[in-house]
Amino acid sequence: MDMTLNAFTLSLLTGLQLGSIYVLIALGLTLIFGTLGVVNFAHGALYLIAIYLAVSINNALGFGLALILVPPILFVIGILLERGLIQRFYNRPHTDQILVTFGLAIVLQELLKWIFGANNIPFAIPSWGNGIIMLHDYLPFLEGFVVYPKWRLILVVVSIVTVAAVFALLHLTRFGLVIRAGMRDAEMLQFMGVNINRRFMIVFGLGAMIAGIAGVFGGPVTQVSPEVGMQLLVPSFLIVVIGGMGSLGGAVLAGILIGMAQSFTAPYIYINTIIIYLITVIILLVRPRGLLGAKGVFE
Amino acid sequence: MITQQNFWQHNKAVLMFALVALTMPLWFPLIGGYSGLDTKIMIFCIFVVGFDILLGFTGYLSFGHAAFFGISAYTTGIMLKNFSDNIIPAIIVAVAAATLVALIIGLLTLKRTGIYFSILTLAFAEMFDSMAMSMLQKWTGGENGLTGMPTPMLFDLKMQGDTVFYFCALMAILLYYLAKRIERSPVGLMMKAIKCNQTRLEYTGINARKYKLLAFVLSAMYAAVAGSLMVVYEPFVGHEFLGWHQSGEIVIMSVIGGVGTLVGPMLGAGFMLYFENVLSVSLGEQWLLVLGVIFMVVVIFMPGGFMEAVARLKKRFFTTIDGE
Repeated sequence: MDMTLNAFTLSLLTGLQLGSIYVLIALGLTLIFGTLGVVNFAHGALYLIAIYLAVSINNALGFGLALILVPPILFVIGILLERGLIQRFYNRPHTDQILVTFGLAIVLQELLKWIFGANNIPFAIPSWGNGIIMLHDYLPFLEGFVVYPKWRLILVVVSIVTVAAVFALLHLTRFGLVIRAGMRDAEMLQFMGVNINRRFMIVFGLGAMIAGIAGVFGGPVTQVSPEVGMQLLVPSFLIVVIGGMGSLGGAVLAGILIGMAQSFTAPYIYINTIIIYLITVIILLVRPRGLLGAKGVFE
Repeated sequence: MITQQNFWQHNKAVLMFALVALTMPLWFPLIGGYSGLDTKIMIFCIFVVGFDILLGFTGYLSFGHAAFFGISAYTTGIMLKNFSDNIIPAIIVAVAAATLVALIIGLLTLKRTGIYFSILTLAFAEMFDSMAMSMLQKWTGGENGLTGMPTPMLFDLKMQGDTVFYFCALMAILLYYLAKRIERSPVGLMMKAIKCNQTRLEYTGINARKYKLLAFVLSAMYAAVAGSLMVVYEPFVGHEFLGWHQSGEIVIMSVIGGVGTLVGPMLGAGFMLYFENVLSVSLGEQWLLVLGVIFMVVVIFMPGGFMEAVARLKKRFFTTIDGE
């Protein structure tokens, strides 16, 4: 296929933008899985709570307050869920953990559907994020007139900042050191007298908070309806598998890979609908532990 | 040697089920059930009994069994429409198609642990869902679903009303009997050993993957029979047959009823469909919310489902002084 530089640039940006939301959801999933060992089927529902909260606060009080309030609220919701529900399941089989988070996903989704209705709620982008960006002004190699929606670029930037913050937290702080040690061997850490349970609780809150950030900025792009949670959960799961379960770097890499694959196959509708599954199958056959998956983790 | 007395002893559960199932048209309307719902319950009994061979015996939780249900339903619809209105060739081809797909998906998804399996089965079912909506639209009817099938025939017998019910009920009884036989066989024992301790089983030199794959394909075949009968029961196939809602429903039925007991999931199927179609009248739109809460309560406090409740009650009221 011959593709002009313009089309290539646009596909690249769209790929980044698609990947951004996936990465934010997958990051929380893989963080929770890596530390707590729990496959959280309710993670899509957490995103759902975030977008409904964000749209309500945004439409009533403005975007600024939504941005300030939603991530902390999600953090608290995450902590309450972990304390009230998830922690009872650490010592139960993985199947039970999946079942209870799946049940939670249904309950949350149906609850939100009951409160807000099944239809899409329009999410107004704040005025400073509205409109388009003239890409040709910034990128001299583009020919003629090339534009891209401003909000989608903001989403990419937010995603990059969030990922950088999570990595900084995990690699530059003592808290992060303990978490990473916990991902390797939680039992050993407990022997050394570290209160791992409190950290688990915070990690779950953190995962929920990232979903909150994703919801505030992703809501206008993914729409606000009860189906969105599950629609995002499936590709995010696959990204976690492709990247290697429990690997944060893998999730970022796989998220961008999937975003790009979806963006660049967009002209070929048949391949586009199954590209993510094709990639998963190839990865499973060639490298079953995922791109950056550690050896011996859930193999 | 199986003596006559042994035969009754061994098949008590199947005979009880047969009695309940075959008399259903008599008693079901008394509790508010309508004709047709009983047929659907029989069909889903087949689905969940098969699902229990996988989840109950091996412990592998599939979130994508709707794929086999749906693929089989679509194949049946296409067969009835384009080949012959006789259901026998349609069912055979449909089950064969779903079995083939199950074999491929099983080989791919059973490579690693149960967590991967749950995620990947969900993903593959979603893949078929989106395929039905895009590239296979010409055959599946896309958003509108597959319609326009002729009245299905069992050779010269029109498959309508009670005939469909008794056909489905007989299939359910037969397949339940078969599942019971599998449970008691050495193969069934291997499957249960996988759930108990797969590593230990493998150390004894047994190829666990072979039995996992067998359980997976068998359960997919049950799902396929159910999917095929669904089209015989109601000549329509929509893409929701393939969706995660459908897979989730089967999981909910099995867990509420009691995983690993075969009869439990059937109770669960009956309860859920009755709940969805009869009790939901007073709950309106929120029936799924209530069901979700029931499901969570069962998972948290009573992982064995209805069957555990029955066992607990039995223990409380029928325990004699000298033990169990």
